[in-house]
Amino acid sequence: MGSRWTGIFWSFVFLAVPVLGVATFAVAPAFDIWLPKDVSSDGATIDSLFMFILILTGVVFVITEGLLFWFLWKYDAAKATGPATYVHGNHTLEVVWAVIPAGVLLFLAIYQMNTWANVKMRRPAMSPTLEVVGRQFEWRLRYPGRDGTLGTPDDLFLVNDLHVPVDEDILIQLKSMDVLHSFFLPNLRVKQDAVPGMKIPVWFKATQTGQFDIVCAELCGWGHYKMAGQITIESRKDFNAWLDSMYAKQEATQPEPAAVALAE
Amino acid sequence: MQLANCLTEIGRQASRLAFLLLCTLVLASVIGCGATPPAYFRPNMVESTKQRLNPEQERQVATVLLAMFGTPDHPVALAETGLNEAKLHLAAGPVRSDIVGRKNGLYREHCAHCHGITGDGLGPTAAFLNPYPRDYRPGVFKFKSTERADKPTQADLVRILHNGIAGTSMPSFALLSETKIEALAEYVKYLTIRGETELTLIRAFFELDDDAKGTLPETREFLVEETLTPIAAKWQAAPAAAIPVPPIPANIDLVASIAKGRELFYGDKANCVKCHGVTGLGDGQANDYDDWNKVIVEADKEIRSGTEQASQASTAGMSPEQLADHRLQLVWLEKFHQVLDGDALTPRTIPPRNLRQGIYRGGRRPLDLYYRIYAGINGAPMPAAKGTVPPEDIWHIVNYVRSLPYEFDGELGADRPMVAPNRF
Amino acid sequence: MAVGCVPQRVATPLADAEVAQKIRATLVSAASASGSTREAAASTGTGWGTLKGRFLFVGVSGAVRPLAVDKDTEVCSKGGMKLVDRSLLVDPATKGLANVVVFARKASRVKNASPSTTPVVFDQKQCEFLTPVLAARVGQPIDVHNSDPIGHNTNIAGSSFNQLVPSGQGTVYKPESETGMPTAVTCNIHPWMKAYAVFRKDGYVAVSGVDGTFTLADLPAGEIIELQVWHERSNGPNGALGLEKPDLKWTPKGRFQIQLQPDEVKDIGTLDVPASVIGT
Repeated sequence: MGSRWTGIFWSFVFLAVPVLGVATFAVAPAFDIWLPKDVSSDGATIDSLFMFILILTGVVFVITEGLLFWFLWKYDAAKATGPATYVHGNHTLEVVWAVIPAGVLLFLAIYQMNTWANVKMRRPAMSPTLEVVGRQFEWRLRYPGRDGTLGTPDDLFLVNDLHVPVDEDILIQLKSMDVLHSFFLPNLRVKQDAVPGMKIPVWFKATQTGQFDIVCAELCGWGHYKMAGQITIESRKDFNAWLDSMYAKQEATQPEPAAVALAE
Repeated sequence: MQLANCLTEIGRQASRLAFLLLCTLVLASVIGCGATPPAYFRPNMVESTKQRLNPEQERQVATVLLAMFGTPDHPVALAETGLNEAKLHLAAGPVRSDIVGRKNGLYREHCAHCHGITGDGLGPTAAFLNPYPRDYRPGVFKFKSTERADKPTQADLVRILHNGIAGTSMPSFALLSETKIEALAEYVKYLTIRGETELTLIRAFFELDDDAKGTLPETREFLVEETLTPIAAKWQAAPAAAIPVPPIPANIDLVASIAKGRELFYGDKANCVKCHGVTGLGDGQANDYDDWNKVIVEADKEIRSGTEQASQASTAGMSPEQLADHRLQLVWLEKFHQVLDGDALTPRTIPPRNLRQGIYRGGRRPLDLYYRIYAGINGAPMPAAKGTVPPEDIWHIVNYVRSLPYEFDGELGADRPMVAPNRF
Repeated sequence: MAVGCVPQRVATPLADAEVAQKIRATLVSAASASGSTREAAASTGTGWGTLKGRFLFVGVSGAVRPLAVDKDTEVCSKGGMKLVDRSLLVDPATKGLANVVVFARKASRVKNASPSTTPVVFDQKQCEFLTPVLAARVGQPIDVHNSDPIGHNTNIAGSSFNQLVPSGQGTVYKPESETGMPTAVTCNIHPWMKAYAVFRKDGYVAVSGVDGTFTLADLPAGEIIELQVWHERSNGPNGALGLEKPDLKWTPKGRFQIQLQPDEVKDIGTLDVPASVIGT
């Protein structure tokens, strides 16, 4: 049977779960293990949805775990020596705790619909800013060039080095050359699987300049872990200048003088 | 009394937990973490078996290479190689941080899994790739700005690292810093020079006089001045061997140039369609090999013919000497067969490039296409147009080739189906 | 399963670390002990001699194999002509073995200091190289010619010379370094086309003719000259032809030695090449 300290010990072990659980979320931002910096126009809504769900589920979590601790403590076999009572169940209670979560779920589904539609359904009416093709293990990019049409001889071909202008709607045509990949821009809260055979539109609007990561979020082979790229968000002027300089490099008919660095 | 009970109980339960944790840890370490042996350079077994080196001779080559080039963890660059040892140290060895927090072991982190620790193109992932990763040891590079026979310049190697090679598994390392890319390029040169020296040393055994003991001289004169210096000199001479590129005519009429280029492409001066096909799909032929695969194909042929002959030879009428030779031959054939199994990849033919896809391995600039047409591709069947096709005409062909992915099917006629034999 | 799926690689002897240390010490020091493989032959004489001989094939040479000609057949198979494998050419009448290469490994002196400026012609017609084995001196111009109505390219392995040769034209090539043993010459447009090329600094190289005879003229007299013998189909290392000729000190590496008197024409007679040294 064990002494009464057994019960106390194990109750506190289980209490550690909600305590540590909440503690890690509380200190995470201080250790920079939290949501990446958001630089997109839809990011605030998405993050607030995330926080809402986190808090809601967090509260329920703490309550449930707390109850678990309470029952472990109160009904410790060493102390509660009385006979067990058979309870037929409480119908009202069961209805309550089925209906309330269902209602919360329904509320969440409706509450987030608009954000989902913004991100996945309301495509901006524009021609693609560029085409991104996922390939083991890199992101191949194709900008349409001056004529604005993809698939013409003035296209600009690049790898892994994505540039977009700030404060403008960006539409990306996402394809895959071989297997499933997932185009993930953490700082823009954009994630879309690249499916071979499909041309999937992805759009966003960046609100701040800077350099951020592109990562692959769908296991695509042995190099999946290093299938990373870089997205540079810059002013329209800088973006145009960059496009021009990259296009000039692509059309080079003379070798570069030795002093010119290879990086743009 | 209460306190004593409390503490004992906590102690008992806590120790149960601790014991469980300890067991898990021990199990994990026993299964998971064996000590890895230090990395070592693999000898060029195909060449040394082909040249019939005995174990003593193989050992001598390995020892000399150890003296001249060091190990994968501790590279050595003699002054004659012209290599920068500091850059080599950044790239060599296991992945680790050095005293100032810089990441070392770049080659092993980024390159070794395909190109192998020895730079022999036999890394663990190599067998799954098409095309195979480059084997640096023969010292032949395909995509460069120098004449066909010459080595690539530093800028050529950096460009490949920076852009990757489109249509192959060679990725772009544009996100690495300049310092790291240069360190990797230096290490590639180091592995190449080492590989070329190894090949020269192995072949030198055949060149020895028959009365020599069958060992190479281990003198500075032979090893450095006769063997290493000519190899390193070719690398140092690379920038001087740059292909001259006359400027493209200033007001060139693109449509006329493309038409002229098409004429040349189909003509018998440049003979492009003979290999690239009348559709430009690369279906002109399918049975040639690049230099790296050719070595294996020829070794295979040698083994096969040797085995056939050995099995046909009747041992009945043989003298003791002949019998001994016959047995040695059988042993050698068996060894060569095993070497091709473990130290070589299944040979593949090299299809001519499908020019309709717009994927250009050596780079898509008009300049890159000019280099490929002018000097051909070293190591591959693509011949040089230099001396046969004048420079302005090469520019016309370049313009035509660049227009190929955008040419409509209708222009070629309905009787020529656009069927690509393979993707790349 | 843990051991299974990776092909086992052949074990090789490990390097000797101590010896390597010593070697490295000599390499980085400025002092150089003498000793190389390229010791010049000591010159001990004057005058020039000539070497002659004849290779005869002994045994059954097997059926002639046709080549797979699958391209440009209107030129390459013109008039129903079939191209055949020329790797073992035995004259049916005399049994002479053609295209055996004999060259001097090192000679202390050369009769003509610089190579001749008249180009050697290396032509191709009806999708076949007309010269099965091209022998030339380093620095001597070679007119790589194309007498076909279609274009070819000529690829000399190891030299990195691989150039287009348009129909009716030629391109001049000057080898800059000597080949060790003869190297393959192919056409990538018509992959069945094959020939061999050997370039030597001193130019002392001969190729046996249809009847198996060869002549090496103007060899330096008064010194021991070691000659290397090669045949395309030989079983020996790198194609070396090892024959049973103890009087010439013929080695398994396909080498024999002679010494000539001034103005001597030495005929080493018939050299029997048994079918056993020729591969399939």
